[in-house]
Amino acid sequence: MSPARRPRLEVLVTDREQAVARLHQLAGARPALRSAFQPAWQHIASGADPADLEAWASGILDLANVNAGPGCLVAAWQISVTLQPRLGLVALGDVVRAAAELCRRAGSRAAQAGLNACPTVAARLHGAGEMLQWWRSLHHLAQTAPESVALVASNVAAILEPAGLGGWQSFLSAGLKLGGTDRARRLAFFGLEDEAARRMLARLGETVDFQHVERGLKLFLTALWANPPALRIAPHGMPGSGGVGPGGWPRRTSLAGRIVLMPEVYRGVSPETARLLFRAAAAHASAHVALGAGRFPVGQLKPLQLALVGLIEDARIEALAMARFPGLRRLWAPFHTAAATGAATAPGLLARLARALFDPTYVDTDAFVVKGRALFAEHAGRLDDPAMSRRVGNLLGNDLGQQRLQFNARTYVVEPAYRDDGLGLWDFTDPPAERADQIEVVVDAMRPQPQAGEAPPRGEPERDPLAGGRAREAASDGRGVVVATYPEWDRAGNVERPAWTTLRDVPPPLGDAARIDALLAARPDLRQRIARLVRGARLGLPARLRRQIDGPDLDLDALLEAAIAMRRGEPPDERIHRDTVRLARDLSVSILLDCSQSTGERVAGYGAGPPVTVLDVQRQAVALLAEATAPTGDPLALRAFASCGRDDVRLFRLKEFSEPWGAPAKARRAGLQPGLSTRLGAALRHAGAELAAARTHRRLILVLTDGEASDIDVADPLDLVEDTRRVSRQLKARGIDVFGVTLDPCGTGAGAAMFGAGNCMKVTRLDDLPARLAELYFRLARR
Amino acid sequence: MNLSPFRIAAEPYYRPVGNEVSIFEAAYRDRLPVMLKGPTGCGKTRFVEHMAWKLGRPLITVAAHEDMTAADLAGRYLLSQDGTVWHDGPLTLAVRGGAICYLDEIVEARQDTTVVIHPLTDGRRMLPLEKRNELLAAHPDFQLVISYNPGYQSAVKDLKESTKQRFIAIDFTYPEPEIEAEIVMREAGTEAGLAETLVDIAGRSRNLRGAGLNEGASTRMLIHAARLVGAGVGLEQAARASIVLPITDDAEMREALTAAIAACV
Repeated sequence: MSPARRPRLEVLVTDREQAVARLHQLAGARPALRSAFQPAWQHIASGADPADLEAWASGILDLANVNAGPGCLVAAWQISVTLQPRLGLVALGDVVRAAAELCRRAGSRAAQAGLNACPTVAARLHGAGEMLQWWRSLHHLAQTAPESVALVASNVAAILEPAGLGGWQSFLSAGLKLGGTDRARRLAFFGLEDEAARRMLARLGETVDFQHVERGLKLFLTALWANPPALRIAPHGMPGSGGVGPGGWPRRTSLAGRIVLMPEVYRGVSPETARLLFRAAAAHASAHVALGAGRFPVGQLKPLQLALVGLIEDARIEALAMARFPGLRRLWAPFHTAAATGAATAPGLLARLARALFDPTYVDTDAFVVKGRALFAEHAGRLDDPAMSRRVGNLLGNDLGQQRLQFNARTYVVEPAYRDDGLGLWDFTDPPAERADQIEVVVDAMRPQPQAGEAPPRGEPERDPLAGGRAREAASDGRGVVVATYPEWDRAGNVERPAWTTLRDVPPPLGDAARIDALLAARPDLRQRIARLVRGARLGLPARLRRQIDGPDLDLDALLEAAIAMRRGEPPDERIHRDTVRLARDLSVSILLDCSQSTGERVAGYGAGPPVTVLDVQRQAVALLAEATAPTGDPLALRAFASCGRDDVRLFRLKEFSEPWGAPAKARRAGLQPGLSTRLGAALRHAGAELAAARTHRRLILVLTDGEASDIDVADPLDLVEDTRRVSRQLKARGIDVFGVTLDPCGTGAGAAMFGAGNCMKVTRLDDLPARLAELYFRLARR
Repeated sequence: MNLSPFRIAAEPYYRPVGNEVSIFEAAYRDRLPVMLKGPTGCGKTRFVEHMAWKLGRPLITVAAHEDMTAADLAGRYLLSQDGTVWHDGPLTLAVRGGAICYLDEIVEARQDTTVVIHPLTDGRRMLPLEKRNELLAAHPDFQLVISYNPGYQSAVKDLKESTKQRFIAIDFTYPEPEIEAEIVMREAGTEAGLAETLVDIAGRSRNLRGAGLNEGASTRMLIHAARLVGAGVGLEQAARASIVLPITDDAEMREALTAAIAACV
């Protein structure tokens, strides 16, 4: 080997086979690194396989080669030391290489944050495979939101804890979708400062959340008490006596008058336990409302005394409740887990006393617990008197005070978990300002707001499990009256995101009604054909016809009479059959028009004359249909929609169900212009909600669209297609038929995917519409 | 005319809840038609049986259904070997023989059917049989009783105003808990504790009426549950089999009801 060829050889070899040596060189050359490298190396190298060491070192070199900086290298060594036993050196090499890749995409700060998060990630996930998937998700994030990587990596514990890897990935993609191009919004989301991010985290947890159990709890409490308190989700970050967990999550129920504020989730419990816990908590809180008596004045009581009086009051209420419903004991008992062991701390003793007062078989020799039990037993004859709670609580408070036990009201959490935070018992003459505000907010939220253009709302609608999501009222701003918010299906995350889209009622621009009349007048032949078809379709309740010439059944009465007539020698009546027909028309139709930008496209090959757009075809088709249905008396509503992001889905009311098809409706119809995008799911949910109130036998939503679902904040149109498909199915389950009529010039639309192959028809020429309508009506009549 | 198969031999058990017995007796004295209103399974049919026994009249019961025609009530010609023979319907039988005719769930019948009873329920007290060309005057002992559950039928199915206004109405509801427990004990032959628990359970389900249930658990359901318990089934299982499962198919409702039942036990 000649000296002249050596450098070239060295380059070839070092990358693959002498990474360890190169690493030593690198670390040795810089004093700042040396001091950190030496101890780490000794730890890692002892007893390690040389080949593994090479693989690991080459990963570290990759990191060094992207100029990650000493901070990253030191972090890489540290996690190597910590995670070596768990992952092995080869996998750690891959991890460091992934950090190098991240550094390339999002900078060294992001890479370092990722490396620092590794111990947490390793503790939550299984093995190197999931760890590397986690890194890949960061790479993906770095492509569109490099600024957020470091932030989200530093929050890894808060996200991975409830959500796991799948949840983590859903969380990232949700953040990207929600933030869109808004950098500040993304930072707020990934920094967990955004309300939507926190709500999403709560839902991602594998536990059962309040929305899953809400209806069941309501029914359960109604069964118990006939007139139960209202249940609401506790607002985030509501201050209370230690009822708030890390991150501001309420951990206990809270009473506010006749409202029970429930935690959105109970963390760290299995779904089955969470269901029981929700039920136990609701039973406890409702017992307070049903059996308790007003609030106690706070006076000069100290926090410990407040907690003790609350505890005795809980025991008193539960004793009363169990006298009424003995089975509640079995519901509550599993949560009393305090044991008569360990150091005597104030919270520990309180939990033990709670158990002692609840569970007669529980043995506890602590003097305080024994005294508490004795005092409670002494007053057992006066369970109906709330003053006894106060008296016993005060007596016990003095005892505990003399033991000089630390009691921190800020960190105290009422045990067992199903009990309320105790604040609802007290009449704070000078309530903590924030809390008073919160209660007002909650009470305000319950107040029904009249919807624009709607009859005054009735009571709160029952939650329908099949409903296409519940409409939630939302505040209004300058972009039109907010009518409702609707959930949307997240295809990737496989969850329904509540209150994801905001529907706004926008007054439609007015056009020239004469234009619609001219459109109609231009096609007299079509008008007649469609009108005949619509009138001919027999929809409605079946009716029996007796004494028919023909039919599937014999009419017994007619038969007998015929036989009698024959015996009398008279000519018999031949009408001896029975038949069933659908006679009455009983149909409501809501027509939903897509007026997004894409409906401005021209329709190829549509006769001679000026260019015709999809919207023009729609305009003509709807005018024909509306005119044809007018004489049948079928209630028909016309709605148009367009969207500009999920918080701006615009709905134009062109015609109400009861409104005649006259000049005002025609003018609104004529004024519609193509623009914006197509968020079909939200519009469909709203049309479904409106139609659900119709009292007809058959209810139909006709969607006229170009079959291209899209919106500016949705990267993958398939998301909206899936969402629409889900709504169609939900509406179908509620007895509302959804038919998609796709006016599809290019034939690329996803009509079948959205509405189902049988519930969708493609119309490319207006001349096809009568035939298509015939199909539609006959299909309806058959069912 | 032999109406003896329609006579009730032994006294049917009926526990009066209010003044229904005296009102019925007063109505019968003047042969006023009576309408029994109330939820299913609260004792309307049993009450009629009891009153028929008490008044010593035969009882002819017709369960109305939506295919029922006027001929099904009044009668029709049937074919026989040598021609046709008229066959009285149950209503005609009662009118001729002086029985109490009980039309159960009258709204189930179509409205054009129910008008048959109109001439019987006013001062005329007669039944026109147009096929026979006969105007049948009611037997002096004849009385018409109908039952009607306003709750569960839809608004479509309601009695005509002209039908409604011909009747004395007696409203039935579920009895007071103590009385209902007594009835359950007596009918199912169980002890008081069980009957009281079952009545409490029924109260839970009746709270849900209109909140997801069309009707709460009826007294009849409680008697069934008590009989299951008597046959050795556990109380919660018996309640599930005889109350929760029959009353609803809604999974959440079942779960809530089961939880509420567990709280009572």
